[in-house]
Amino acid sequence: MATKPKSDTRYDPRADGQLQEEFVEKWRDNAYGCFSSGHKFCREVCPVMQVTRNENHSPTAFHANIVAMEQGQVSVEDVADDYVHCTQCGACELRCPNTLFTGDFYRHRTETVKVVRAMRALMVDKGLDRQNWQVWNRLTDELKNEPVLGVGDGQPNGQEHVRDWADGLDIPVGGETIMFVDCEAAFYRTSIPRATAQILQKAGVPFGLMREQWCCGGPAAEMGYVEQSRAFAEHNVADWRAVGAKRIIAIEPHDYIHFTEDYPAYFGESFDFEVIQILELVAELIRDGRLKLERPIDRVVTYHDPCRLNKRKGIYEAPREILRAIPGLTFKDIDHVTQWSYCSGGGGGLPIEKPEIAAEISRQRLGRAAELEVDTLVSACVWSERPLAAAGSDVGIEVLDLIELVAEAAGIEAGGREGA
Amino acid sequence: MVTALDESVVEELGGILGDDDGVLTNVTSRAMRARVPAPFPVHRWFEYMPQVVVLPRTAEQVSEIVKFANRHRIPVVPRAGGTGLADGAVPLRGGIMVDIKRMSEIKEIDLVNRTVTVGPGINMLKLNEQLRKHGVMYPDDPASYPCSLVGGRIGTGGWSLLGARYGHTRDLVVSMQVVLPTGEIVDIGDGGGRKLRKSSTGLNLKQLFTGHQGTLGITTEATLELVPRAECEFAAFFAFDDYMKAHLTTGTLARSGLATLAGVVLFDERKLAYLRRDDEAYIPQPDWVVSAVAATLYGTRAEVEPASKRVMELGRSAGGKYVGDEISWGDWASRHDRYATPLHGRLPSGEVVPMCWHCEDAALTYSELPKVREEWHAIVQRYIDEYGIFDDWGMFAYTNGAYKPWGDYLVEIDVGIWEEKLNDETWAGWVNLKREIAEVSLRHGGSITACHGATRVGDAELVPTEMGTAWEVVKRVKRALDPNNIMNPGKQMLDQAYVSTDGEGSG
Repeated sequence: MATKPKSDTRYDPRADGQLQEEFVEKWRDNAYGCFSSGHKFCREVCPVMQVTRNENHSPTAFHANIVAMEQGQVSVEDVADDYVHCTQCGACELRCPNTLFTGDFYRHRTETVKVVRAMRALMVDKGLDRQNWQVWNRLTDELKNEPVLGVGDGQPNGQEHVRDWADGLDIPVGGETIMFVDCEAAFYRTSIPRATAQILQKAGVPFGLMREQWCCGGPAAEMGYVEQSRAFAEHNVADWRAVGAKRIIAIEPHDYIHFTEDYPAYFGESFDFEVIQILELVAELIRDGRLKLERPIDRVVTYHDPCRLNKRKGIYEAPREILRAIPGLTFKDIDHVTQWSYCSGGGGGLPIEKPEIAAEISRQRLGRAAELEVDTLVSACVWSERPLAAAGSDVGIEVLDLIELVAEAAGIEAGGREGA
Repeated sequence: MVTALDESVVEELGGILGDDDGVLTNVTSRAMRARVPAPFPVHRWFEYMPQVVVLPRTAEQVSEIVKFANRHRIPVVPRAGGTGLADGAVPLRGGIMVDIKRMSEIKEIDLVNRTVTVGPGINMLKLNEQLRKHGVMYPDDPASYPCSLVGGRIGTGGWSLLGARYGHTRDLVVSMQVVLPTGEIVDIGDGGGRKLRKSSTGLNLKQLFTGHQGTLGITTEATLELVPRAECEFAAFFAFDDYMKAHLTTGTLARSGLATLAGVVLFDERKLAYLRRDDEAYIPQPDWVVSAVAATLYGTRAEVEPASKRVMELGRSAGGKYVGDEISWGDWASRHDRYATPLHGRLPSGEVVPMCWHCEDAALTYSELPKVREEWHAIVQRYIDEYGIFDDWGMFAYTNGAYKPWGDYLVEIDVGIWEEKLNDETWAGWVNLKREIAEVSLRHGGSITACHGATRVGDAELVPTEMGTAWEVVKRVKRALDPNNIMNPGKQMLDQAYVSTDGEGSG
């Protein structure tokens, strides 16, 4: 009574458009490396899988699907829903024994984030993209910023408001160093860009803003809207060139990924900007004595390693260095490897399409923080802070951005708002 | 039995699980649960699919599902992590797959009586993350420690890398709740108490429900042993220029009587050659090293420190050379990750191809290890020469007894398979290879599997032979508990339980 495939309904990736054929051809070896070993060590570190406990949502399933596609057993339509369930945090890639044991010698890393993004691009191509993502990206395309405040009447969306957060800070437009402010920070949690700007001003780091800053395009790329992502990238790069920028300060981890991975992929060698991650810069300013943290902060905190810094980019020392430099703080650390299995659920478009899963991931993250008996969870990713703060309010733990703490310790009244 | 997915089946299951997205019928949901880590004939993957997958949250739901399946004679296959190495959770006849991953809660931590009660869908590493703050651990530590789940460990009768010290899965389950193939929920322990380690009341049923490969029921809750978190860990690796010296040293260490001994491992020349493929920098051992022995200790500092000195003496007593702290600690620390990697596969020509990994495991007595090693390698070499898609990744032997590690060993030969080239002919070759390996084990008085289970073709046919005069008892038990042969049917030749001696079916 085994279920046998019907030969006349077999899926042929070659007959389903060039993109599909290229997808299977490009990712089959990577998929097979997972399929053939089948360890599934990724499963228990995957933030989505930890919540849904549905094996379809495990990275091994993402790879096995490709093997099945190559065999002609399943189509993009069959597998599309699986790939919605991913925050693109990268934990699976790190925990994969194939990465751990052959990474150094064979220069191998099991690629799962790129696979998810490529599959989502296929879904867009075939009209299988999810409705909430369609709406989100259509509005982003119209506004040139993500609709992070919703689109009700009177919401300060769009280009005319993109620099509202900087009111009164006297920041020039243009210059060699540009501070790029992502949509969530520019519109929703404006305390972060305000804090960042004043920290840089206090430390004497010259910087300016873009003439016309569009969304970085990263979220569109994460959800599969590659053309839109690229169009936004082209606009932003043109703006940078027009003002003579040489370096870009990314104050947010998703932007940092996009500027260091996607933009170079879009533009090749002509992308010659230096991209600076804000925490590494701030740690350096503190180390060099250019930024003094002298005002004690009486809090008991733990640090949430943002996935894109820790798991995707290996940036976990700088934030800890900064936290240890803040006077008065009691810092209860959880090491960055343990945090491979932590996440806020805030990435990869998950909160837009599966808000209930994102919320549960954050709830579990706050549960881990609560065990440490802290009063504050410090993150360094604005996108994580909305779901984390919602979960934190239920357990009496405040969620702050590291930059907000740094500003306070430096005696800066950042202003702006910390969320809605 | 149903022969096609009947919509009323899905409806009925939906009614049992309620509004919980817990009934899955789409092709990927079923295909993902028809695969395991070890190779199966990938070209026949879609022949072994469940027809429907359920994700229950409670024992009552499992009970209702199984009662329903039993009424309608629908096969039921339980699945936990799906990390088993012998296709135990792969449905041979379709049916309902009961995926228990959602039953993953920690229900009680009893630090006074030293037990933890969990759902079967929890992973040991995740459990130990929660136990750590209490200074205790659940010491079931297979190579699949980061991914396998408690329920699967019970179903397969798992083996632990720390078994010599703390026991294996069956020794670590104090009691459990099981849904029988007829749907009743029963409590199984030593006698009647949920937290008792030893009783003489009634029959001891606990072992019957550990290692049955999902053929006698579904564990829905387990009360597990808590041991003090080891204050001290020690690992030492010794290098040898001769396998027999290493074999002698393995026996010497295993018989040492050190109570904190957690395990002794013997690696042979082919295994070292395989490990050297990793990275020459990682195993910087000179060419004369053709065998290695590892010994590990777990316990309190007061015990482990003096014992470690004894291990160092014994490890060197027959010419062993200590390889140093870095390799010893590094290799032991990576014991879970160094499972197998497909990127180390080599064709006879030396060409690197992505290979999947399969390990044949057996239980064998100490005295038989050298001879079995020779025979196994010779068999694998014959098949390498004949088919050109296999690769010998070497052997190891690991102390097998719980608490008494001196007598017998889990012995494995790891074989790489260029799985993409599998077809009916090469698959048949692989099955014959497996069977020859298993026959050697039986000839030497061993068991064809110490831990993976004899659930795959090649091994399964030999189960009645190995069980010998006890096979009749096994069949009677199976038929008594599962009168309609719905629970993971087709595994381990248990269909024979439903065939009368004159050959007529009676089930």
